[in-house]
Formats: sequence, C-alpha cells, structure tokens
Amino acid sequence: MEPENLDPISQSPTPASFETPAIPVAAETAASAAATGPENAFAPRTDFARLTAQTEAIRTEIGKIIVGQTDLLELLLTAVLADGHVLLEGVPGVAKTLMAKLLARTLAVPFSRIQFTPDLMPSDVLGTSVFRQNKADFEFRPGPIFASVVLIDEINRAPAKTQSALFEVMEERTVTQDGTTYAMQEPFLVLATQNPVEQEGTYRLPEAQLDRFLFKLHVGYPTLAEEVQILQGHHSGFGGTNLEAVQPILSAADLAQLRQQVRQQRVEANILEYIAKLVGQTRAHKSLYLGASPRASLALLNGAKALAALRGRDFVTPEDVQFLAPSVLRHRIMLTPEREMEGGTPDEVVKQIIQSVEVPR
Amino acid sequence: MPAFPARVRALLVLLLLSAAAGPAQAAPRPVAAAPALLPDAGPAPRLRRPDADRLRDLRGQREFQYEEAITQPEQSAWDAFWARVRDAIGNWLVSRSYNHFWRWIFYGLFVVAGVFIVLRLLEIDFTAMLGRSPRRAALAYDTMAENIHEVDFATRLAEAEAAGNWRLAVRLGYLQLLKTLADGGLINWQPDKTNHAYLAELPAAGPLRGAFREATRQFEYVWYGELALTAPLYAQVRAGHQALRAQLGRSYSNTSR
Repeated sequence: MEPENLDPISQSPTPASFETPAIPVAAETAASAAATGPENAFAPRTDFARLTAQTEAIRTEIGKIIVGQTDLLELLLTAVLADGHVLLEGVPGVAKTLMAKLLARTLAVPFSRIQFTPDLMPSDVLGTSVFRQNKADFEFRPGPIFASVVLIDEINRAPAKTQSALFEVMEERTVTQDGTTYAMQEPFLVLATQNPVEQEGTYRLPEAQLDRFLFKLHVGYPTLAEEVQILQGHHSGFGGTNLEAVQPILSAADLAQLRQQVRQQRVEANILEYIAKLVGQTRAHKSLYLGASPRASLALLNGAKALAALRGRDFVTPEDVQFLAPSVLRHRIMLTPEREMEGGTPDEVVKQIIQSVEVPR
Repeated sequence: MPAFPARVRALLVLLLLSAAAGPAQAAPRPVAAAPALLPDAGPAPRLRRPDADRLRDLRGQREFQYEEAITQPEQSAWDAFWARVRDAIGNWLVSRSYNHFWRWIFYGLFVVAGVFIVLRLLEIDFTAMLGRSPRRAALAYDTMAENIHEVDFATRLAEAEAAGNWRLAVRLGYLQLLKTLADGGLINWQPDKTNHAYLAELPAAGPLRGAFREATRQFEYVWYGELALTAPLYAQVRAGHQALRAQLGRSYSNTSR
C-alpha cells in the first residue's frame, strides 16, 4: 500500500508528482470547432476533445504491454468514467491482474493491492483500532481498502465473512469502525479479479456483493495473431511486465472533471424506457430464478452515458445499451437449476432478452 | 451304642423331613351319593301355539313371500354403457391377450417418455395442455405501437411538417427509409436491430452505405440527442432522405432490368 493511503480520509489523495499530460491546444481547439461549428450542426454539443485525448493516451500506454483486449479496455475505461467497480473473470494466465495493475497505473491516484486468501479477516481489509499506551486511547489504523484504486486479486478465494466487509465501502464509499464512519477519498474504484468458481478453493461471491459491481467482464484468450505477437515481444527481450513503461495519464481532478461531463449526457425518454424494459424482462424470464435489481438499471444507464462519451457522442443510443447489457446483467441474474443443468449461460439469456425488446426509434 | 456325630444326625433329620415332604399318596375320599330328583310339584307347562288364522294371514302378506321373482331395476343408457365397458375389460382380462398386459404397459411408458422428451426439446410448456397455468408467463414480444409496414408515411409526414414538428418528421423520414431498404431486400428488418446493424447489412461498396450512414447520424442526433432543428436544417435532412430514396429507386429499376 502507498504511504499516503494511511492519511486521514478527508485529505486529498492526489500526489503533486502526478501531472496530467498536456493536450496540444491547437488540436483540442480544432476538434472543438469541428464538433460545434455552424457548418456541422449534427455534432456533439459537449467538447469531448480532452476526454478523447486522455482516454486515447491511456489506451496507448496500456497497449505498450497488453496485446489486443481492445473491447475489454473500452469497458474498463467506461467503468472508470461511470464511477463503477469492475469484476474481471477469466482462467489463470490471461492477464487479468496485469490489466488491472496497468489501468491503475494510468490513473495518478493512490493504489493498493489486496491478495484475497481463505484466512483473510475483515479487519485485514478495512483496518483496525489499536490501543495507544502513551495516550491511553484507541487509534484507527486504516486497512488497504483506503486507496483510490484497490486491486483485489482473486476475490473469490476469501469466504463470505470477509466479502461482507466490502459491502459498505463498495456501495456507500464509507467504512464504519467502532462507531466512527470514515469516508473514502474520490475516486474510489475496486478492480477485482477471480477465477471461475468451478475451480478448487474458491467461494461463490454473495449476490449482494456481485450487485455492487458495475460490470463483470470476461477476459478471454488472445487470438492466434495476438498470441504470436505476445511471443514475439517476449522473445525479443521485452518481458511484458515492465510497469515502469506505463505513465500516469489521469489525475483525480481530471477524472472528476470527465465524470462530470459524463453525468451531463443526454438520455432520451425512450432510451430510459428501453433500459427499464430490458432489466424488467430479467424478472419475468422463465429461465431465471433471480432477476436484476433497479441498481442494474442505474448501472446500465451510467455505463451507457460513459460509453457514449468515449465514442464521442453527447447522447445515448440503443446501441450503447445493447453493448453494455451483458456486462451489466450477467452477474446480477441467476439461472434456474433446470436451465443450468441444460448448460445455459447468463449471457445466452441476456441475448434472448435483447432480442425480445424492440429498439426504440 | 456309640453316639452319632452331629453332622450325621443332621443328615438323617434332613432325609426324614424330605421323605415326609414327598408326594404322599392321598387316601381315597368317600364318594358322596347324588341327591335324588324330586318330583315337580308345580303346574304343568302350557304350550303357546300361534293362531292358525293369524298364520294364514301372515303367509298372505307380501313381506313373507320369499320366493317372489326379483325384477331388475331400470338401467340408464350411461350405466349400460359402463356395464358394457366393464364387461369388455373383464372379458379381455380373462382372455389370452391379458398375458401381454405388461408388454402394453411398457410400450405406453415408452411413448409417453418420447413425447415428453420431444416437448422438452421444443421448449413447449405442456402443463398448459393439462389445464394448468404455466409456471411463468412466456415472454411476449414487446413491440412499440408502430409497424413501419403499416404506417402511412406520406400523410403522417405531411401532418408533422404542417405542425412544424421537425423532430417527428425526421423520425418518420428515417423510418420510411428503413421500410424502403427492407422492401428492397437490402436489410432484414427485425425490431431488435439497431441502426448500425442495418448499416452493416448494406453493401460496403457504392454510395448507398455512405448516404445511409449520414442519414443515420442525423436521425440519431435529432431523435436520441434531442437536437433542436430549424426549418432550413430540416429541409437539408429531408433532401438527404429524398436523394437516398431516389437512389434506392434507381437501384431497384436497375435490378429489375
């Protein structure tokens, strides 16, 4: 954990050494003019030049080490802009942890990493009060959760008791210990990784905790060409884990500004209804034992707004919603035992639901 | 006479006592003589005989006619039908085909299992056929109020333009474009497809795709992005739509030749 993580939570966490790289003013102005000029009325009314430049810079930095995974990176950036936590799931060796570490490195904010183990205790995560003999009182020692970007590696290795320690902090961004509530510093982002639950020594995450993740993203295998590229890089002496090569791009203040832009995105009433219908269908689907909560609707809305901004639009389209629906819904729904025995997956059900609701136009 | 030791004396006493306690022959008791029967000194019993007339009268009553022929009760057609069914089943059970009874049971079970598997594979909720309501209502296809193949675009466009509702007019114009593309077989109309899905279905070569992309962009900004339109801007959009439709018309005529 970084030393500044132990500071009282009310203080600003952003170290002075992290500076946002300057964006060429000429390019930014030109882009802005192109976007809002009178000759092109059908263009964003919000200036996304800074957002576009900074997110492109993050892609470039991560691309120095990670080969491929462009969709995954876009979804991760969407979560960062939408102020949501992300659960990365995949088999061992597909660079889940590396991707999370690299993304955290591009954000110039305090970072900590917690390796979840079966014997981890809630106090190991949140912190604990220790007795000070010289002052005859208790002092709260913050745990590693007190950071802006928290990487929880192999989150499903810890039992439910430890998982429940994350409920409050993930949703309310506070930690309550001994009657005192400590607020987390902004931004606060949990990036968790897990191996599929059918592997030995893992626990299924509680539903209440899964619901607190904005996205659950599958990290798949690289394509043949990408794997060859990985091998070539490794063979030529570039180990692929030189984290020093990745430079911080976004400061906490930058991120707050971008998030403010995202919150102001336009969403037409029919799109809101479309989101509600999609989520509502999960509660009536015959293959589902548990449907998605209203929190899923909010997650879909916030994610779609962020994705639209990333794609240079100041409004949400049904395409944004459809693109994000599997990532938002797959961990919030539970299949019926019959469907599970038939080999069905949540993604298949989400696809069926998308096909059953008419796109508003 | 020498004196017996104490032990010997005790043994002798025990032997004498045990001999006395053994099963003794009971002496026969004298049999008492049975008392002699005394003559009945009371009056002679009087035998009761039913009155002959009364007996004759009873014999004539219907309740005592035990040999009366029992008439079969009236049988309805329904009862007769079931009686015949029962007779038929009874005859079959006593016939030789009863020997194959279990074979027919097994055949029946196989047929039921086969039908069950087919219904499961086809995902048909057969419980509804049995009169039960399905466990969950099936997903109804969620359609909007409009069907582009039924909308009278000319009239509705004219109404929207007359009312100055440029936003609605752009939407109607775009839907009309989609209908033209679907009618021409260039896109496969499905309500769940997005605009960009239709764009991807258009041939990559040629100006059609570019023109539709621009029309899609304009529609999205106006409809989803709630871009406020002016009359000149709407005229620009409308001109684009008309040009694209004219282009599609030429494509059809070229294709039909």
